[in-house]
Amino acid sequence: MGLIEFAAAKTLASSAVFLFITVLLIAAAKRINACIVLFAIQCAVITAQIVALAFLHRSVEAFAVAAVVLIVKVVAIPYALLRISRQLKVTPAVVVSTTPGQSVFIVAALILLAFAVVQPYARAFALDSEMLAAATAIVLTGGFLMVSRKKALMQVIGLLVLENGIFLAALTTTFGMPFVIEMGIFFDLLVCVLLMGIFIFRIRETFEHVDVSRLRRLRG
Amino acid sequence: MILLFALMFPLASAFVLLAFRNADAAARAALAAGAVEVLLLATCAWKLRVAGVLEQGRYLRADGLTLFFLINLALIFAVVLVYSTGYLRHVPGGRFSSPRWFYALLFLFLFTMLAAYLSSNLGVLWIAIEATTLASALLVGFYNTEGAVEAGWKYLIMCTVGIAFALFGTIALYLAAVRGGVPAARALDWTALMAASPGLSAARDLLKLAFVFVIVGYGTKIGFVPMHSWLPDAHAEAPAPISAMLSAVLLNCAMYALLRMEAITSHAIGSSFSHTLLLAFGCLSLLAAVFLMIVQRDLKRLLAYSSIEHMGIVALGVGIGGPLGLFGALLHAFNHSLAKTLLFFTTGKVRDTFGTLRIDRIRGMARVLPYTSIVLILGGVALAGLPPFGLFVSEFAILTSAFSGSHYLLAVFMLIAFSIGFGALFYHLQRMLSGEPQAPRGGLKILASETGAICVCGFGLLVLGLHVPPVFQSMVNNAMAVLK
Repeated sequence: MGLIEFAAAKTLASSAVFLFITVLLIAAAKRINACIVLFAIQCAVITAQIVALAFLHRSVEAFAVAAVVLIVKVVAIPYALLRISRQLKVTPAVVVSTTPGQSVFIVAALILLAFAVVQPYARAFALDSEMLAAATAIVLTGGFLMVSRKKALMQVIGLLVLENGIFLAALTTTFGMPFVIEMGIFFDLLVCVLLMGIFIFRIRETFEHVDVSRLRRLRG
Repeated sequence: MILLFALMFPLASAFVLLAFRNADAAARAALAAGAVEVLLLATCAWKLRVAGVLEQGRYLRADGLTLFFLINLALIFAVVLVYSTGYLRHVPGGRFSSPRWFYALLFLFLFTMLAAYLSSNLGVLWIAIEATTLASALLVGFYNTEGAVEAGWKYLIMCTVGIAFALFGTIALYLAAVRGGVPAARALDWTALMAASPGLSAARDLLKLAFVFVIVGYGTKIGFVPMHSWLPDAHAEAPAPISAMLSAVLLNCAMYALLRMEAITSHAIGSSFSHTLLLAFGCLSLLAAVFLMIVQRDLKRLLAYSSIEHMGIVALGVGIGGPLGLFGALLHAFNHSLAKTLLFFTTGKVRDTFGTLRIDRIRGMARVLPYTSIVLILGGVALAGLPPFGLFVSEFAILTSAFSGSHYLLAVFMLIAFSIGFGALFYHLQRMLSGEPQAPRGGLKILASETGAICVCGFGLLVLGLHVPPVFQSMVNNAMAVLK
């Protein structure tokens, strides 16, 4: 076994652990900018994983996907989010309805839950149960971030984390979707973040705050 | 080639329309582009009727089911565009709320829905459905008021999260297909999946999981209760023509995606699982919507909840199944789109005259706006499923299929829900129509374009209610044959 194969195998074996660490840290983070950086790190771990897989499968398409993930998710989206957060000039704190300790505890419970629910599927389809659990845990954490964080920008981050989990699920179960579909999904994601940016600025202009839990005019 | 032209023309038009800074010029250009697009779609429909199936490259395909929904889309888009040219008089300009942005986004919205209908690949279908949210979010927030911004944000977040679940379901289906021996490059192809579906029954649990995620995902866009909370806000805060587009074609577009997925699932593992889920969501939506209609205070929110009710009825028709159930469901989707377009168009005039759509602040409408009131009453009669309008025929078909399939409890439940919905609708209508008018602020004159758009919808409802034309009948039959 060559050194590069060894490195690829090690990357695949250890990336689940790194992903669990990123979701726990995002749950504990107190500042929005820290969350954005952690999201970028999570995407970087996923990129490393795609590169490792691409190398093992000798797939050119997968290298292209890795490049796009690197450009879109590790660089472009975090950069745009950091810019928005700077231009909004609001307090950098993540306003949460749970304390960091409680958040970490809940996310840890979600990870355990993810391990429990994926076991039958992992066994039936001979899949890597750790990666599948990581994907499920990331989806659940994304959902948890969206319901527990009050600022508009944090909801966007929650959504992106959720989408990361789904992407990871596709990667581990079927070695990614067909290339064209994958690109279409990235394009949608990019446009979505752009639109959410526009709406965040409009929320600030019309309401003079970005606390979405205070958007309560429309009910019933 | 015609498929590609019909698909790409709205996209090109959207960019061209952005160049028209003058409101009148933009309206004329939009009308011209709309006329060309409707002609292109008519050519598509004609070729499709002759050939049965049209294909273009790897990702474009149209069949009988596509034809049915394409005609629905083309018809509603045409009347909405004509109505919009008059309606935009009322809209104050803003950075993103100028007429050129309105028309450009409207054409972009059309493009995404066409992409959903014409895609042969379930992955592309997902991308297109997600793109419909993106294209319409700015239109929902078009007025830029507090309510509009809130509704737009909620719409964007809720539908994106919901649709993400559908992606998860699509991936699970893809996994099942790949493991079932379908080559990876064609494993999201609808025709390939339909052909291979009987062999996929080994992955039973996975297919069930996939369908649960898909029905929750696309169900969010259809407006199934309990994922519906974006729908009343978006419908109420959007400009009237956009409310009509959302209610009349966007919901049908998401329903179309669900129908395609449902066909594969029920082919592979039998229809009982997917039908049970559809019945559950249908009953819940119908029940919740008719009760929520009673407590509404805003005319457009009332109509939005009625959309949830009717989407529930469509789901029930598909869930009951059988030829008559499915026939009723498809016909109902079409009829509902006509009735809802008609009613949303009248709200434009009501808002213009009274300055509000709050039901408790509108009094004596029958005297102030006699013609609009008549249209509103007729639209209400149509929406309540009374003869001589189309919704009576389709609701009757669904009820008949429920009785003949021995779903007696379900049929009685539907009858009770229909009556509550009818009561709620007319309770609110009579409150607005009667009473002493309190010096309304008097709006602009109704334009011929608005009257014309309303008449087209009303005429369509009447025709489908009195006698379903043979051409239409065979079109619905072709659509049903695709799903068989």
